Amino acid sequence: MREQISLIGSGQTRFSEWWGKGIRDLMDEAVTSAIDSSPITALDIDFVIVANMLGERVNDQAHLGAIASSLLPHRPPALRTEAACASGSIAIHTALSLLESGRAENVLVIGVEKMTDVSTSEIAAALMGAADAERDAACGMTFPGLFGLVARRYMHDYGLTRAQLSLVSARHHRNAVSNPFAQFKSAIDPESVTESSLVADPLRLLDCSPVSDGAAACILSSKHASPIRFAASQVSTDSVSLTERPFLTSFPATKDAAERAYEEAGIRPTDIAHIELHDCFSIAAVINLEDLGFADPGRGITFYEEQETTPTVNASGGLKACGHPVAATGIKQILDVSKQLQVSGQRYGLAHNFGGVGATCCVHILEHTP
Amino acid sequence: MTHTPASIARALRSRSAREQEGEILSFTTVTHPPARFGTAARTIGLIALDDGTKVMGRILGGEPAIGQRVRSRLRLSHTTEQKLKVYDVCYEVLAKKPAPKPFPGYILALTGPSGVGKTTISMLLTTTVGDYAEKVPILTTRELKKGDEQEYRQVTAREFIAQMKRGEIVAATKIPSSSEQRWYGYRATDIEAIWNDGKIPVVVTEMGLLQGLAHHYSRRSILSLGLLPPGKSKRMMLSCLLHRLRSRGRDSEESIVDRLKNAERDLQFFEDRRELFDHVIVNENLDTACSNIANHVMELAKS
Repeated sequence: MREQISLIGSGQTRFSEWWGKGIRDLMDEAVTSAIDSSPITALDIDFVIVANMLGERVNDQAHLGAIASSLLPHRPPALRTEAACASGSIAIHTALSLLESGRAENVLVIGVEKMTDVSTSEIAAALMGAADAERDAACGMTFPGLFGLVARRYMHDYGLTRAQLSLVSARHHRNAVSNPFAQFKSAIDPESVTESSLVADPLRLLDCSPVSDGAAACILSSKHASPIRFAASQVSTDSVSLTERPFLTSFPATKDAAERAYEEAGIRPTDIAHIELHDCFSIAAVINLEDLGFADPGRGITFYEEQETTPTVNASGGLKACGHPVAATGIKQILDVSKQLQVSGQRYGLAHNFGGVGATCCVHILEHTP
Repeated sequence: MTHTPASIARALRSRSAREQEGEILSFTTVTHPPARFGTAARTIGLIALDDGTKVMGRILGGEPAIGQRVRSRLRLSHTTEQKLKVYDVCYEVLAKKPAPKPFPGYILALTGPSGVGKTTISMLLTTTVGDYAEKVPILTTRELKKGDEQEYRQVTAREFIAQMKRGEIVAATKIPSSSEQRWYGYRATDIEAIWNDGKIPVVVTEMGLLQGLAHHYSRRSILSLGLLPPGKSKRMMLSCLLHRLRSRGRDSEESIVDRLKNAERDLQFFEDRRELFDHVIVNENLDTACSNIANHVMELAKS
């Protein structure tokens, strides 16, 4: 980071099925609480970035930058980012670039997704847009199916059992019980994950993050300081199609982004106290822990076999239990890591967010200096 | 969108490339496939085809398993809203798992449009790294010209086809020209004799021959080098080739026109099937290109 950039305000809606709220209502709620929590007024915001993946297809609404800007009295310049499920963290990365360049001093970043306006089959088809339309989707593939391929190969190569994999969602649900913003504040046992209906063999319904509505917003500033500052922001990409990958059991974009983020922050993985990682499907959480450098290949599941871990993993409940309004997730993770650091008093936390099957990966490291 | 008539037409173009045998890398059964594919659960696999490419496709029948062999079958995939029937390549699980082919050895393949310098470079290689590499003679049905004896073995078309039917020719291609149909191919015995000498066979190929060799000996046994003429655009590359073909003075103007037509197709092949090439080398300077390739030969010889 070339500048001292701090997180000075944050707010979010609860992630849920918000039948009575539209995309603008969700944004408004998150933005209002972000501004209220910050030391600045709405008029101090000089740029707005909105992250959203499915607006055109699901809500018949493109052009979200201007809509978000119109929520503020002075209509600052605005743009929208999209990188499938990584849209939110890409928005943060873009905001940091604007701040580093000096083009802006206080940037409002919003992630929003309104997914429950259409049927399940329509939302499933829309989400498949995160994969390669010609190489992956043409044979009738679905997005959970892609992770089904990954899970099958991982189980074959490393001997991960169904019972072990079920620990992942059970842990995330347990963590969400105390999170007021989570979509599912209910604990589930691993057996109910194993017994839930098949979605894409070997993945079952409770291995998959849900369809959710929600928005999250934060204000990043190079002008005002706060105890939470950004120590690193790195993006890496990989082929969108799985047919172009040399292997299925690791996501090189995560490895690359993480290694560069540790270097940028000048720290090692052992310095991290809290992680919020992208568990769109249970198998992804296991692989991400390995790619981020916290476990050897094939050993990621050990984090879920132990009761307490250092660092903590998805203490918020992750995507599985908090809900996954696609583009809001990357920003919600930053909010959660900052809260966890402020409660624990620890120094470093990491947010890992990816789009597609690890095709765009963004890693942020936050530093807490009380 | 993957279900519009235009996108289906595009997919059909790549269909023949997917019609190969292969091996299952992973598979899943999607309980609820996208609406246009009907309501039945669909088993889909990631398949490593024998030429080294990977594809995603529906798996038919049997109990699939990772590592199992599959062969391609053309089946009705779905019917579109416009009542168009879409057929797609599916993969049928082979009941018996055939023993994997033993790794035969490396082959160095040079591919490129006519006039790019494949023959010159392959000849130079046999002098610079002659202890390690040897050129494989090309079997052809065309009339030999002066200086061709070293490079080609001429047979009649009848004999060529007979050898092909007996499986003695591992890769063959038919190159059209305005006057006749010409066959070119490589014999297994020629390639294996070079291996037996402890050397690396060097073959000059075009798309048909390269794919044939990759299919017969497996893609990983081939170090595939693409040779391109210098030039930023396809038009500049073609004009460079035209200049070279004219200045070497071996071909009639009519034959040069034929060769240029084929060259245009070859350049397109480079773009479409990039995965078939391990390295692409621009032949701007003969010495540089040649020593670059000689280095690849030495690396192979060491391994």
